[in-house]
This record gives sequence, structure tokens and C-alpha cells, in this order.
Amino acid sequence: MSATEEEKKQIVAEGEPAQKHVPGEAAPEPGKPGTWEFLIAIPVFILGVVVCLFVGWVLFPAVLYCEKQQPIDFSHVVHQEAVDEGCESCHFFREDGSFSGIPKLENCSQCHEEAMGEHPEETRLIDEYIEPGKEIPWLVYASQPDCVFFSHAAHINMAELSCGTCHGSIGESDHTRPYQYNILTGYSRDIWGWNIAGIKKNTWDRMKMDDCAECHEEKGTNNACFVCHK
Amino acid sequence: MKMDRRSFIIFSLGAGAGITFSPLPWKLTDDMAIWTQNWPWTPVPPEGVVTHADSVCNLCPGGCGITVRKVGDRVTKIEGREGYQVNNGGICPLGAAGLQLLYGPWRVQSPLRRVGKRGSGQFETISWEDAIDEVVKKLGDLRVKGQASTVACITGLDRGTVPQLFDRFLKAYGSPNFIRTASAGDTYEFALGLMQGATASVGYDLERASFILSFGSGLIEGWGSPVRVIKAHSVWRSGNKKDRATLVQIEPRLSNTAAKADIWYAANPGTEAALALGLAHVIVKGSLYNADFVKNYAFGFEDWNDSKGQNHMGFKSLVLSKYSPEAVSKITGLSAKDIVKLAQDFAKADRPLAVWGRGKGTLPGSLYECMAVHALNALVGNINKPGGVSTRPEVATQAWPEVKQDSTAEVGCSKPRVDGAGSNRYPLTKCLPERWPKEINENGGTIQALLVHEADPFYTTLDSAAVAKAFDRIPFVVSFSSYMDDTAYNADLILPNHQYLERLEDFPTPVGLQKPILGLLQPVVSPQFDTRHVGDVLMTIAKGIGGTVAEAFPWDNYETVLKETMGDKWHTLEKAGYVEADYKPPAWGKAFATPSGKFEFCATAFDKAGMRISKDMDYLPHYQPIQPEGDEATYPLILMPVELIRLADGFIGNPPFCTKTLEATELKGNELFVEVNPKTAADYRLSEGQHAIIETPKGEGKVLVHLSEGIMPGVIGMPKGLGHVGYDDYLAGKGVNVNSLMGVVEDPISGLCATWGIRAKLTSVLS
Amino acid sequence: MKEEHQKGHGKTYKYGMVVDLDKCTGCGACMVACMAENNISFRKDDTNKLVSNFWMRVYKISNGLPFPDADISYIPRPCMHCEGHGHHHATPCVSVCPACATDYDHETGIVSQVYTRCFGCRYCMAACPYHARVFNWWDPRWPEGMEKYLSPDVSPRMRGVVEKCSFCFHRLQRARNKAYAEKRREIGEDEYQTACTEACPGGAITFGDLDNPEHKVCKLKDAPGTFRLLEKLGTNPKVYYTTTRDWVQKAADVYVGNEGNGVTPA
Repeated sequence: MSATEEEKKQIVAEGEPAQKHVPGEAAPEPGKPGTWEFLIAIPVFILGVVVCLFVGWVLFPAVLYCEKQQPIDFSHVVHQEAVDEGCESCHFFREDGSFSGIPKLENCSQCHEEAMGEHPEETRLIDEYIEPGKEIPWLVYASQPDCVFFSHAAHINMAELSCGTCHGSIGESDHTRPYQYNILTGYSRDIWGWNIAGIKKNTWDRMKMDDCAECHEEKGTNNACFVCHK
Repeated sequence: MKMDRRSFIIFSLGAGAGITFSPLPWKLTDDMAIWTQNWPWTPVPPEGVVTHADSVCNLCPGGCGITVRKVGDRVTKIEGREGYQVNNGGICPLGAAGLQLLYGPWRVQSPLRRVGKRGSGQFETISWEDAIDEVVKKLGDLRVKGQASTVACITGLDRGTVPQLFDRFLKAYGSPNFIRTASAGDTYEFALGLMQGATASVGYDLERASFILSFGSGLIEGWGSPVRVIKAHSVWRSGNKKDRATLVQIEPRLSNTAAKADIWYAANPGTEAALALGLAHVIVKGSLYNADFVKNYAFGFEDWNDSKGQNHMGFKSLVLSKYSPEAVSKITGLSAKDIVKLAQDFAKADRPLAVWGRGKGTLPGSLYECMAVHALNALVGNINKPGGVSTRPEVATQAWPEVKQDSTAEVGCSKPRVDGAGSNRYPLTKCLPERWPKEINENGGTIQALLVHEADPFYTTLDSAAVAKAFDRIPFVVSFSSYMDDTAYNADLILPNHQYLERLEDFPTPVGLQKPILGLLQPVVSPQFDTRHVGDVLMTIAKGIGGTVAEAFPWDNYETVLKETMGDKWHTLEKAGYVEADYKPPAWGKAFATPSGKFEFCATAFDKAGMRISKDMDYLPHYQPIQPEGDEATYPLILMPVELIRLADGFIGNPPFCTKTLEATELKGNELFVEVNPKTAADYRLSEGQHAIIETPKGEGKVLVHLSEGIMPGVIGMPKGLGHVGYDDYLAGKGVNVNSLMGVVEDPISGLCATWGIRAKLTSVLS
Repeated sequence: MKEEHQKGHGKTYKYGMVVDLDKCTGCGACMVACMAENNISFRKDDTNKLVSNFWMRVYKISNGLPFPDADISYIPRPCMHCEGHGHHHATPCVSVCPACATDYDHETGIVSQVYTRCFGCRYCMAACPYHARVFNWWDPRWPEGMEKYLSPDVSPRMRGVVEKCSFCFHRLQRARNKAYAEKRREIGEDEYQTACTEACPGGAITFGDLDNPEHKVCKLKDAPGTFRLLEKLGTNPKVYYTTTRDWVQKAADVYVGNEGNGVTPA
């Protein structure tokens, strides 16, 4: 006899007094489950469900991810208008084929050696970084872990993907959004995805291995380990 | 509401269901898996802009061109420089491990002053100003007290601007004691001076030789400029069978060179000169020599009459009378048949070349042995010929203004040298780097202050006990080392130089190269610690002392010195990283600046130098056995140092990567193995891997025994390069320093260290 | 299935090596260059060769004859990147890995090792007949300051995982990056060379595409007298050797020392 059948029997046995119970009659003997106690089992169960759903969906992500602000509130919109060569003014391929993703301070200094306007963020840029010659510690949203080798050249030049395929609309942002990272792994939240359920609406919503592999599969690109791992 | 057991279970069931339908368990599992891959102590090397920079390696006298790969401001790799005229790509293990020396904890990070007992390794950090002041004060005081000549300086090389600055400093200061560390080059230069009247280093055209006869040289084990020689070896091994060059190795041990050789002859150690002369005998007897050279450009081959009409024995008579194959067979242990065959093959080869310098060439060796081998080259007429041996000058640079000496300097410099070089006994010898400890310990020599640059005499000088004793008698030892090497460890003051990847300096022609080439060390990375360029420091010291000493250094800084010295070559040097001189060895008619104007088998330069040579034979290369120290009854075996390319044994301590590559039969834990033939082992009841005590007249050490069929019975091979006290746990305390078991046997003519081995005994101990 | 998920872009390579044992002097530059290139850790005592970490290991072998007929030779041993035989390309280590932490790339012929995927069961080490794989028994630690020379191209490993020679795969990634930036797909022979090949002072190692007749290795591997290690096991390795010494060639196919050829490890 399986355990479940036994349980059922027990439940049936325990249920019997409730069925026989007539209103107005004396309350059941202490220690024996009565009607109201039976009914309360459902809300207790539901309470358990709700509490843990709350913990899992709301508290957990709040605890798991820490937030940091970027050192400078940077506006892509403003810069897009000001630079001559579009995105490539700051994000470009180096001669060896590697990609200069985050611009170096010297890139910034080319224009901001002297203040160009009166924006307080610009003043901060000059005072805190350009003057002392200190690199800006940008927090990289799309930074992959150390075991990953990513070739911008392969994706931009060969696969002809647009930057937005992986980076979304960051190029149109007017303010830097907070950088969230996982306290356990230290990875940027952009890698695991902003949707805690892992639901992905856009290609740039998540950048885990499966997402890379999925696209490689679709495009008929090699999916061997050493294509992306190092 | 009361929470009873039942509701708790129901609540838990609900919680379980709730949690299952939340991301928590799935995400947490994933994150934890990722977390285990990201231990915070596993370094994540930062990315950066990749650049490359060229420089020259100075970890040995090989002077290879290197290219470093940089990521941001970090150097991440050293590679051989493509197209560099010495190594053309390719690198040796030591050169490839150079970054461990740059970033390693054995760097001296700031000027240090000894606080504990000498050799206790206790130092305090001091400022550069204090450190320089201390040297200035000490040297200034000695000078005032009229003891200028008691200052000595030991450098690794004597060529190049920095060693020359030290030399100049001593000249201006008033001391004759400029000493460079020992090498086989010392003896070869001596021999070239005698036989060719040349003041030059030896150059071997290895690449074009077709028959290479090596008298114990570890050609592919770090001899000469290591990468260049290994490349030459590959040239010998290229092409189809009949085009391939022949390599013959004479050595009592199956070294890598012996293993790679087409023929390996295990002649008795120390009998190489006899073998060379035996070969000469066969060549002369069979008229296999180059008659044109011998007849028209050589002196002393035939018997000759001096100006007084006295008849003297020539080389021919000597070898014919004394070195028959049978006689040589008895000395060397090779068969007479083999000797004849080898001589014939050598002489009949297209471009035969005999090379000399035992192991890596770190010990000077016997003069007559060197002369005997050089005579073989002369016999086959390969002097200054393609595939032969030549004298090789340095790239010409701008001379510095004469040093103006004050009276103190004049008096000081006229005093005898502390090592005895240039004295009546050794008039032709420039310096005797293995002799000064003996002079101090036994003959009342005095060094009041010792300056050490790019050398580790405390470690590399033979007879470590005597060296330590001599060090004890030197009240002031200053090291300019970038590393905590053994000498620095035992110094009173360390003024750390920039490491070789951090500084600008010229590098003279690599040892053994046939063409003059000057390389440039360039700072490929900014100084990692509070170090200063030794050239600048030395000039600051000179300026501190003042007077004519300061005047001898009219330059603002070392960079100016270098640029001025290079003159019009600076531009090329800076741009290409090296300059090559257009040099062709002179034709035989113009090549020899000897008293006879010819190549001298019979070195009459001895007379010119006023050396008293009693016997005719002593003018000629002959076999004069250098007896290893110790009596045969007490010490029945012979210990010979084994030099390995994976084990640096000079002023650079072996970096961890190289130590890691040592064989399991060379180092085990902190103990080194000595190599003995199973026959010898059986005689002394030794078995593989067991402990033994090796004892020589100079010292003893505990070692492990490795049985090898590759070593001659009766000989013990012991790796050279271990047993350091300096550096740190990655090197210090590993093995025994073979130099501590060896003694100095002086060459009777040159006074240079002719040691090749020492008598020893090996006693089994229960481990 | 593997073939399917590794379709690639048509052009395939079969990278391999030919080592001329006559030119190999046993200097060890390949080992050091490999360690420097690949962020390989080291320890204060690295004398136990069973547990010390080498991707490229130079073995010293001896002919076992008594003095003075004794002879030694060196055999540099990177990962052989075994191709295996048949449709499934049974590379010994790949076929046993329960974690899919290693695979055979049909586009390059390179056997990978993904450290973050490996959980350290060491089946692959047992399967590899060449001892090419090593286990990280300890946390890789560098003396203070020395982590500055670590290359970002190769991910440092952690304790508890297996690692091995990758034919300097990151150098191919680099070469590809450059090629892609120049909008081309083909990788030239010079563009991708392993660190050991470049470092070897004797030029004993030749590296390239074994299938491309324009690459030097292609011709060298077909030269008479070329052999591979333990060929009889059928692992189909992609590292070839040449030597003029018969005893060395015989030693190459001996599974256990003294197996009839009088060859013993030196």
C-alpha cells in the first residue's frame, strides 16, 4: 500500500467528524480538530505560499542585487549630438581587432580638457578625473565573466549585428541608470537579465551562455566551447 | 491563533509550494554554482590596450633581443624579438621567465641598510639621500685617509657604459681594483692576446661551420649566447643527411650537447688539452693542416732561432714527439683509433671548428688547454674564415674625456691590485676575480669597501667558505642589485638599480658572437619600486665626493652619458634597438699583432711581457694537467659541476618557472641529486634516491643520489645554481651550492681559475 | 549532433604540430613560455612531477644502455588534441567527461577545456594516455605583486578543476579578432602560432593546419619517418614527431617502460 493511499485514509477519517457535525451541538472534544480548524488549514497553506512567493519574488531579488551609481551621470543623447563620428567616436576597434568598449580618460580629455559648458557633472568630471589624470571607474553593464571571450569584431563586422542587439537602447539614454550586481557572483544584472523570472522579451534582456548559444544556433555559427570560452 | 504542529506543517507545505514557484531556488542554485567558480582569491587579470615594446635581455651575457607584450601598463609576456641579429625570435627559459624577476618578491624595493648581523637578512628601509650620503661619507673618508686603493668594485661585465662608469669612478677615485666576474672569455682573451696579439673577444662563426668539435662546451646548455647557439645547432641539423654538419662532443658526462652530438667521446676529465694535441699530432703527421696558413702566416710551427741564435722547439716537433695517438690514448682514455679517425675527419671537413670553454663557460679554465684548442683551429686554417674562429672587436663608440686624476687618485691607482692581476707574477692578466678572497684571507690584502654591480660574487665565487671569510674582513659592502641576491643579502647597504626591463642601458656584443652588435635595454615598464638607475647613483656619489672625482663625470645624468657615448649611432640605436658594425675579420696578412706579426703557435709575447719562461715547451700549447685538489686516498671520486640551461648559475637567481622545469632526478623537495654511474654507486653501496654526504677538501653537503649511465664511473656530477641564501623560499635553501665544495686552482701562467673539478667522496647515510 | 552544433562557416582547420626531436635540445623554453603565456601557477616546491602543473612538458627518455653507449632524448609533450577515429571522433578525454567541460572543435581540431564547467572528477585525466591533463590540487596563488604579469587572454583557473594545453587557443581568438576587424575570415599561418612554437630557440616545433598544403606542418607530417606517440592506441593525435634516432621512435610507442625495447625513463 502506498503512502499516499494511507494519507488519504487518514484525511477521510479525520474528515468524518466534520461531516457529522451539526450546528448548535457541543464543540468537539479538545485536542480533536474541529471544523474551523480544518478550514484554517487552507489559509495557512496559502499564507505559506504567499509569504514565500513574496520572499522569492520581491525580497530575494532585493537582497540579491546591490546597486551602485556610475561615477558620472553620462548622457549619450548630448554626446551623440556633439561628436562627429557617431558611436565610433568613443567606441571603436583598435588596430589589433580588439574593441575599445569603455572609453579611456584620454578620450574624454580630447573635448573636456577645458569645460565646455556649465553642467555640474562636467565640472565633476574635470575636477575629479581629468585634472588629476585618474581613469573614471565606469561600471560596465555588459561585462562578461573572466571565462568568456567575446569578439566585437565577429559580431559587428561578420555577423553584422547592430550594437542594440545586445546593448539595447543605451545609446539613446540621457542619464546613466544604476548598475546592479549580484552579491554572490559579482556579475552585472544585465548578464542574468533584469526580469527575475528570466523572461526575455528582447535580445538584449539577458546575456547568459544559453542566449549566446541560441543565436549561434540560429545563425549556424560554431557552438564549440572554445569559440566563446577562454 | 495558535501555531500547532499541524499548521506548521501545512504552512511549510505552502511555503515549499510558494518557493518552488518563485525564482529563489533556481536562481540561488545557479548563482551558487557561479560563485564556486569565482573565488575572490582567483585573480582576474584586467583587460587593457595591448602594446608591444622592444628591448634587450641582460640576464646572461647572451644579449638576446626581446619583445614584451603589455596590457595597459603591465608587462604580461616576454618573447624573443623577431629579426634581432642575435636570436631572431626564440628565447631561452630564463629569458622567458624574466617577468618573475620583475614582479617577484625578491626585488629590493628601496635602499636598505643592514641592521642585524651581516648575513642575518635584517635590513631597514632608508631614503636615497641617506643611502648615497653614507656611501659618499665612507668613500670620502677612505680617500682622505689615503686608503683609496682599498676600494674594489666587482661588475658582471667590463664592457658597456655602466661597467665603464664604475671603472672610470675607480680611476678618478684612486683605486686599481676594478674586477669583472670570471668566465671562459678571460682565458680565451688571454690566449688571443698571446697567439694573435689581439685585444678582443673571441667570435665563432658557428652557423657556417660544418664540423664542430667541442671540448666540453655545453653548446646547447647556455654556452655563448644561448639562443643563438641553439639556433646554430638547428642549422647543423637541417638539410638532407649529407649537408648536415657533424658535432663531436668531448665530455665525461652525457650532457644534452653530448646527447645531441653525432659522436660523443667521454675523455677523462681535464685531459682535453692532451686530446687536442693528439689530434694536432695526427693532422701534422698526415700533413692535413692548412699549409698556406701554417707556412706563410704562422710562427713557431717549425723549430726556430731567436735573435741570439738560440734554437727553440716548434709546435710541430712538440706534438710529433709527445702526443702520439698511443700516448694520448693513455691520458684521455680514448682509443688511438678513435683519435686518428677524429683528427682526420676534423681536418678533412669543409669548415672545421674547434670550440672551447667548459659548460656554460662560467669558469676561466686552463690557458694551455685553450691555446691547444685554438692551435687546432689554426692548423686547419679557420682563423678569421667563414665557419671559423675570429677576433671580434666592440662596436666603436665615442671615447670619454680623459680622467683628470688628483694626486690621491694617482697614488691609489699605482698601488698593486688586490687580486694580484698585472703584478710581476701575472703581468698579462687584467683581473683575477676568483683570487681576491685568497689575497685577503692569506696574503694580507685589504678591501675596505666593495661595490658590487650585476654580479653575485658571494654566490658565484668558488670556495664559498673562503669568500664568506673574506667578506667578513670587508667592513663596507655596497650592492647595487635589483634583487635580494646572496651578495645583497650579505651587504651593508643596498642601493637598488632599476630592473633590466625598467631601465636604459647599452648592451655590448653578446659573448661568442662573430660580429659586433650593440643592443639597447629600454625601459619597457615604469619602475615598480623606489629604485634608481645605477649610472645616476654612481655619478651622484662621485659628485658627493667632489674634486676631481666629481669632475670626471661632467654629465647631468646617465641618459646623457649614453647618448654622448653613442654619438651619431644613437639615432639608429634608439630607433632599431641595436647597431651593428660593418666588420669583417681581417685577412691573415693583417690579422696578427704579435711580435712576429704572425699567428704564434709559440707565444713570444711572454718574453715581451717580461715573464720568465724557462722551458721551450712553456711557449707552446702543451698538456699541463690541472690537478684537482684533494688526495686520492681520502677523496677517491671527482666532483664536477654540471651546468644546466634550466638552472641559472650566475648573478641571476633561478626564477620559479625555471626551477619548476628541473627534472625529478635533479631536485626533490629542497634536496638536489648528484649524478653517479651505477658502477661507482655499487662500489660505495649507494642506491637510487638515497641520501649521501658529499665531501671535498672545501666543504660538504647532504645530497640525494641519482644513478645514471650517462656519467663516467668515478665522476660525480652536481648541478650548479642551487644552494642560494638570498632570494626567498622559491630558491633559497634549495640544494647545495656546488661552488661551496669547489676550490680555486690557479693557472700557472694566467693566474686565472683553472678549476674543472675537485676530489670528493660520497658516503651513504641513512635518511 | 556535435557536428551539427559546430557547423561553423564552412572553412575548417585541423591545427596540429610537428616536433623535430633532432632539433629539440631539451632547453625547456617551451615549458616556460607556455607557463608565462597561459597564467600557469607554480609552487614553492614543484618537484613532485605527478602533481605539478605543466601544459607543455618535456620528457627526458634514455636508451637504457650502459656508459658510454647511453643516450638521452627529449620529447616535448603538449596536449595531443586527439582526433580519434570514426564518425564520433572519440577523443579519449572528451568521451568520458560527464560535465561536457571539454569538447572537440571540428572547425579547428582543438580539444577545449572549460574550467568553469569542470567539476574536477578527473575522469579525463584517467582517460588521457599522454598525461596531458593536470588537476589543480591547490589554489593557484602568486607571490604578492606577481599577479601583475597575468594575461587577461587566459582565464586563471581555480582549485579543483582540470586544465591542459589549449594550443594557445586565445591566440587564435586574437588572430580571428584581427581578421574580422579587417573583414576577412581566413587565418594565415603566421597569424596563429602557439607560444611554445614561437619561443623554441631551435625552431623544433612547427605549428599550423595539417590539412592545408600551404602550411609547413602539412608537408612535414607526411615526411617519411614521422610518427606519433602511442599510435597503437588509436587516439589519432595531431602532434607528430620526427627523429633520425631509431630508439627514440621505438620508445614513442611503448606503453610501459622496458616493453621489449630497452627504453626507460631517464
